[in-house]
Amino acid sequence: MIGTTALPEGGRVDFARLRAERRTRLAAAMAAHHLDALILGRPANIVYASGARQLWTAGARPFGPGAVVVRETGHVHLLSTWDDGVPAEIPHDDLFGLSWNPANLLAKLAALPGLKAARRVGTDSSSPGFGQFLAAIAPEAELVDAGPAIATARAVKTPDELACIETATALAEAALDALTEAVRPGVGERELVGVYLACLAGRGEPAPPTEGVVCATPRHGPVSLRQVPTDRLVGPDELVVLNPGARYAGYEGGVGRTWVAGPSEPTAAQRALAQRCRDALDAVLDQCRAGRTGADLRRAWEATGEPLPAAPLAHGLGLGMETPVVAAGCGDGAELVPGMVLAVQGWVQAEGVGGFLERHVAVIAEDGPRVLSRFGRGPVA
Amino acid sequence: MTVDGQPIPVEADLARMRRERQAKLQAQLGAQGLDGLVLLGTSAVAYATGAVVPGMDSGRAALLRPIALVVAGDDVPHLYTPYPEGAPADLPADHLHDPLYPDLDDGVPAATEAIAERFGAGAKLALDELPHPLARALAGYRLVSAAAAMGAAKLNKTADELACIRRAQRINEIAMTDVLPLLRPGVRQTDLSAVFLRRIFELGATSNGIDPIWQPMTATRAAGPWTTHGDIAFPTASTDRVLREDDVIWVDSGIHYEGYASDFGRTWLVGADPRPTDRQRRQYERWREVVEATLAICKPGVTALELGRAAIAANGGHKPWIEHFYLAHGVGTDSAEMPLIGTDLGEAFDEAMVLAPGMVLVLEPVIWDEGAAGYRSEDIYAITDDGWEALSDYPYDPFGVTP
Repeated sequence: MIGTTALPEGGRVDFARLRAERRTRLAAAMAAHHLDALILGRPANIVYASGARQLWTAGARPFGPGAVVVRETGHVHLLSTWDDGVPAEIPHDDLFGLSWNPANLLAKLAALPGLKAARRVGTDSSSPGFGQFLAAIAPEAELVDAGPAIATARAVKTPDELACIETATALAEAALDALTEAVRPGVGERELVGVYLACLAGRGEPAPPTEGVVCATPRHGPVSLRQVPTDRLVGPDELVVLNPGARYAGYEGGVGRTWVAGPSEPTAAQRALAQRCRDALDAVLDQCRAGRTGADLRRAWEATGEPLPAAPLAHGLGLGMETPVVAAGCGDGAELVPGMVLAVQGWVQAEGVGGFLERHVAVIAEDGPRVLSRFGRGPVA
Repeated sequence: MTVDGQPIPVEADLARMRRERQAKLQAQLGAQGLDGLVLLGTSAVAYATGAVVPGMDSGRAALLRPIALVVAGDDVPHLYTPYPEGAPADLPADHLHDPLYPDLDDGVPAATEAIAERFGAGAKLALDELPHPLARALAGYRLVSAAAAMGAAKLNKTADELACIRRAQRINEIAMTDVLPLLRPGVRQTDLSAVFLRRIFELGATSNGIDPIWQPMTATRAAGPWTTHGDIAFPTASTDRVLREDDVIWVDSGIHYEGYASDFGRTWLVGADPRPTDRQRRQYERWREVVEATLAICKPGVTALELGRAAIAANGGHKPWIEHFYLAHGVGTDSAEMPLIGTDLGEAFDEAMVLAPGMVLVLEPVIWDEGAAGYRSEDIYAITDDGWEALSDYPYDPFGVTP
């Protein structure tokens, strides 16, 4: 765990080592995939390559170059108008400032040493006009999908990365604790989201993986897992999903539980629903070991007779959500390797009872999962 | 004051807003000879569909994204979403679909099928982003950028869109009234964020848009972070940094309401009873003069270049904005969108940008006073049929108070 006390002897996470190991992995992946340069637009990939602190903004933005990695020189060129939040290994010469005019951006990229001669340039996304743009800065270059190379670099976590994910998970547990204190009949979903965000910010990490962490489920009529916060008030004795995540140094952790709003004790039907969720989720967790695939996870869930939830059953965690994504039609071929971190989530529902969710964060190991998230299973047991 | 003859309503009529936006998109498809739009970005999907999504980190927002397919001739968009609960209630069931995963190789078959269901082979489609797996699904179509169609549709807001921006701004402003009293020595930037984020959700925000900025400004440029252009570094990310008595804080935040962004900017001083010095008060007065000079000529038919020149003249011939930014930017489903005034797009661009009813300007002049930091605030104005109307309404404490 990381506190706020200054550590003059050096932190418990060696961030310089963390960044160096990421760069080494990225360079190895570039070499293995024969990429001469990477042009990165996704914030998490920019952080992976550069180590720079990025301003958190919500949502997905169209592709635009935010960092350029040149294999020949080993330099990481970063879109940043200032050096605040930029690690020392990126010299001022390797920063390029914000442009609104594409011609100015093009001129800046065209001047980056070693890029012009690149033959294979990988990007983490693209846009319909980007091929032409690339031809102007690297005339000989073929534009290729850098996704597989980046996924290779990011999938297996270093010990420092695991320490960050574990710290983030501890922050999520703090938020879950605050949420369980706040949940009661009459409290609004919005109010609970406010409690969640205030708890994270109060611990120094306001930017959430997602704001969609609270869902009160009805005791009558159809049940679904909603992630958009609403004006809905929690009703008496309803099952309420509390599924917070948190970030530390960009790394994501999380934990999910389902609480009963009270005032009554959980009913037998609610307990039975919880048991269904836990049985199915335990079956999935048991498959979270080296050598298994996404299909093994999916089949383990389906073998319990539960329908596959609409939300992913499992997905990678690192600098935020990452591949693999195991969901309906997705991720069957993903191979689990030691050091990969997965968020594993189960959801079951029953009309007249409500919905029940649990989520764990686990490190894949040879002999089974090492579950990082800790929290009591709550009143519905 | 009206926009295209319509007053800005207190409550937006969301169904009418969606219909009018869809009509604009259809008009753009016709004007640009497009068979459809394939939209992936959060703000573009919000504009095209009116679907609400939870605020989330960019990586998750890309892997679990809603997607809009706008088909020429169909006045309702198709929405493929992991968040069906956020779809408008009047979206027909046959236009609401399971999510697609265009960023994953495994998502290619379903994406290929969905697009083939809506568009014939060889159709000309405009996209705002083209992840590599989706590019494989779209082999055989003619692909162009959606920037022109989306930009033209979004530029002039309807009265309902302006009502949403005003509501977003109101939520943002009310939340800030609870933050300002906390600005005492020793408060951390993230303590301010905690109160702000809690309040915006209690007040009805759909999502937060940006980690709020509470940046202490150094007295000189050189004392601040190094920059590529030698001008001020702003906005820099918040941390658990402790704020001190007399710190000059530039605040910048943005939230979303029904897809529309707010943009709140003020200069605050840290202290139990903060009082600006005479020099700081003069900075604020100069800022007011720049805003008033700009607004004095602000109406349909005026060019962005003319507004920029009025602002420069009011600032003694010096450009009153930061080198990497602008005098003003628009706001809509994006927190910064057209019109931009005073960027590196250049004077010819600004001259071609002619104000028209429904455009929105977030005016954010910066009065930098080397040696004593500076003053910066932002306010939002809608261009109306014969002038402008403010969409923001927040005091300038502790500067606006007469001693």
